Amino acid sequence: MILIVDALNRHEFTDILDDMYRLRARVFGERLGWEVDIRDGKERDCFDDLDPAYIIGLDDDGRVISCVRALQTMGPHMLSDVFSDILDGQPPVRSPTIWEATRFCVDTDRLARGRGAGTIAHATCELSLGALEYAIESGITDVIAVVDPRMDRVLRMSGNGAYDYLGKTVDMGKVHALAGLLDCTEERLERVREMAGITGSVIVDEEEFRAARVRKASRAATLAQYFMDQIDAAQDSSELQAVLELADTVLGPVSARAVREAARADSAH
Amino acid sequence: MADRPVDLGNLGPDAEGITARMREICADLGVEYACYASNTTINGELVGLTTYPEEWRAHYLSQGHHMRDPTLTRAVHAVAPVDWSRLRNMDGYAEVFRDASDFAIPQTGLSVPIRGAFGDRGVLTLARRCSDVEWAAQKREIMQQVQLMAAQLHDDVLRSGQVLQRIRQPTLSDREKEILQWTAAGKSQQDIADILNLSSRTVEVHLRSARAKLGALNTAQAVGRAIGLRVIYPI
Repeated sequence: MILIVDALNRHEFTDILDDMYRLRARVFGERLGWEVDIRDGKERDCFDDLDPAYIIGLDDDGRVISCVRALQTMGPHMLSDVFSDILDGQPPVRSPTIWEATRFCVDTDRLARGRGAGTIAHATCELSLGALEYAIESGITDVIAVVDPRMDRVLRMSGNGAYDYLGKTVDMGKVHALAGLLDCTEERLERVREMAGITGSVIVDEEEFRAARVRKASRAATLAQYFMDQIDAAQDSSELQAVLELADTVLGPVSARAVREAARADSAH
Repeated sequence: MADRPVDLGNLGPDAEGITARMREICADLGVEYACYASNTTINGELVGLTTYPEEWRAHYLSQGHHMRDPTLTRAVHAVAPVDWSRLRNMDGYAEVFRDASDFAIPQTGLSVPIRGAFGDRGVLTLARRCSDVEWAAQKREIMQQVQLMAAQLHDDVLRSGQVLQRIRQPTLSDREKEILQWTAAGKSQQDIADILNLSSRTVEVHLRSARAKLGALNTAQAVGRAIGLRVIYPI
C-alpha cells in the first residue's frame, strides 16, 4: 500500500517519516555508499526541508518498505542545485507540469527475491505505480528521475524504464547518477500494472488509513492492559511465567518487554 | 509564508492588469473566483490579489482571515494542487468557511501551489459552486492547465516588480535554444526530433521548459520572446 505524505499531513505521520529516513540511511549510506549525511541512523538532506511530497510504500505491518521524493522543477530541486553536473553545466528543465523524483529506494534487506507479493520486484512496481498515479492525478506530464544505473535497470525491468535521458551519466563519488525521463501516462501505468499483476489504485485513502491506525493502536493498548491484569493476578511464579510467555507470543518480544517493565514499575508503587 | 501576513490590500504596480488576467483565467477554466497570494523572497514583496466581490474581500481582510485561511497558508507548502476537501479538518478552515457561507462564497475549490527558482512561493486558488461529481470531472480536465496558468501568473507578478525586472533574464539550456531556433526555422516537433536524434517527447519536454522559462503561453510566443531577448536569431 502506498501513502502520500506532504507538508499538509506530515505532522500526523512523523513515525513513518522517521522509518523512511532510516530506510534511506541503510540504502544510500550503507548499501550504495553514497556520500549522504546520516544522523541518529536517519538520512536527510536540505531538500527534505523544502516541503517535498513523499510517496511511501508500507507493508501489512505498517513498516516502510519503499520510498521516493517528489519536488516541483519550477522551484529549487536536486538537478538545479546539487546534481547540476549531470546537466553538464546547462540550466535545468523547468515546467509546472514536470516533477523531479529523487531518493527512489526499496528495502532489499527485508523483502524477498523472486516474484509475487512481499518481493523486491513487487515493492518496486507498487512504488512506481504510486508515484505515477499521484503524478497523473496532479496533472503532471513527465517526471525526471535522478537514479543510479542499477536503479535505472531495475525500473526498466519493472516496465517503468526511462524513455530518454537528460545530460549525461556522472560520477558521484563511488557511484554514477543519471537523469531519466518518465512519461506519466495511462499506457505506462497499465504496463507496470500488468508487470506486477496489480489492478486498481495502490494509493491508500488517507481517512481510512488514519482510522485503521487508531484501531490498531487501541487494540494494542487493550491487549497490553489484558496482560498487565494477568500479571497482577498471577498467584505464583509458574503462572507468571506462563503469562509472560503468552505475552511474548502474542505481542512480540519488544511490546512484551514493555508490558513486563510497566508491570514491574506498577508493583513497585 | 505562514509566518508572515499576506496583505491582500497591498497591490503591486500592475495589480489591475494581473487581476484582469485572473478574471480571464476564471472564464477559461469555468470557475467563479480566483485568488492569488505570494511572498517573493527576493524583494520581500507580499502580494495578494483576488476577483472575489468587494464585500467579501473587505470582510475577509478585516477578520484577518488571510492569516489563517488554510487554502492559502497551508496549501502553499504542498507540491501537488490541493483540493479544499483535504483542508476541512485543519485549523482556520471552520472559521473562514462559516463566514464564506454567510457571504454565499463557494466552498468547492482548488489551491495550486507555485514555486519559483529563487525559493519564492505562491498559491493560486480557484473556487466554484457545483456538485462534487461535476467538480471532480472539471478538476481532472483543468489540472494541467491550472498549473501552467498559475506559474504564468506568478511570473507576471514577479515581472511587475521593479527589482526583478533587471535580474530576470531567462536561463535557457543550449538544447532549449537549439529547439526554439529550429522551431523559428519552421520545423515541426517531429522534424526537430529527427534532426537532433531525440524522441518527439523529449523535444516536447524541452519546449515545455522553454515556454515556462520565457513565461509564454505557447511555442509561438516563446519563439517571439526568445527572438526579442536575443536568445535565438530571427530567420
